[in-house]
Amino acid sequence: MESQVGRKPNSMIMSERKPKNIFNQGAIPATFIAESIQKHSTQTAIGGHSIFLGQIRADETENGKVRAIDFTAYEDMAIEKMHVIREDIFAKYPLTCMHVHHSLGEIAAGEICLFVFTSSAHRKAAIDACNEIVERLKAELPIWGREIMSDDSHQWKVNK
Amino acid sequence: MQVHLTLFGQLAEITGRKEMILQDIPDSETLIKTLNDMYPLLANTKYAIALNKKVIHENTILSGDNNIALLPPFSGG
Repeated sequence: MESQVGRKPNSMIMSERKPKNIFNQGAIPATFIAESIQKHSTQTAIGGHSIFLGQIRADETENGKVRAIDFTAYEDMAIEKMHVIREDIFAKYPLTCMHVHHSLGEIAAGEICLFVFTSSAHRKAAIDACNEIVERLKAELPIWGREIMSDDSHQWKVNK
Repeated sequence: MQVHLTLFGQLAEITGRKEMILQDIPDSETLIKTLNDMYPLLANTKYAIALNKKVIHENTILSGDNNIALLPPFSGG
């Protein structure tokens, strides 16, 4: 799993920001989320964090009940596109930091598959940026979810 | 022109292939027509074509060096 240290002072200049891998094989553990929060305690300019967690829902569909979603992605394109979104968001909102993690592979109902974490001096930037990242990520990143039903049949997830 | 394709999601499922090499494909319209002839189910499937990781929106000349990917509707998050 990618180490999530807050951005170091020498990487604060925008042009130096490099594309980050957002993918994580398997579900995102609650302990990883807790540790990510803890790591920001040294950044005392932060006054608010906003977190979005995507959880696999056991949808009842006409084809049965979803027991897991198997995520695949065009990883190179998704990482490049996420870098563009990251730059746009940093240009638009006064954020201190931003972290995005998306699962790949089979994630069971009830597990976390998406973790978006923004921090800023005041709450509004963190909250608005977090929402915008989630909306753009769902619409723009080449990621696909294959919903696996309780009888092991499957259907392709459709984002609403 | 020989082109190398990568297929994702339900497109890989419909064709049974994650990668494909096709001959005599000068542009993206020919690519779509050729694929529809080979896999009639694809004709009713919505997808975008990415050329070197950028989605194209009109007929585009292809070259053998191009990285071409077929992308079904995104469903991440």
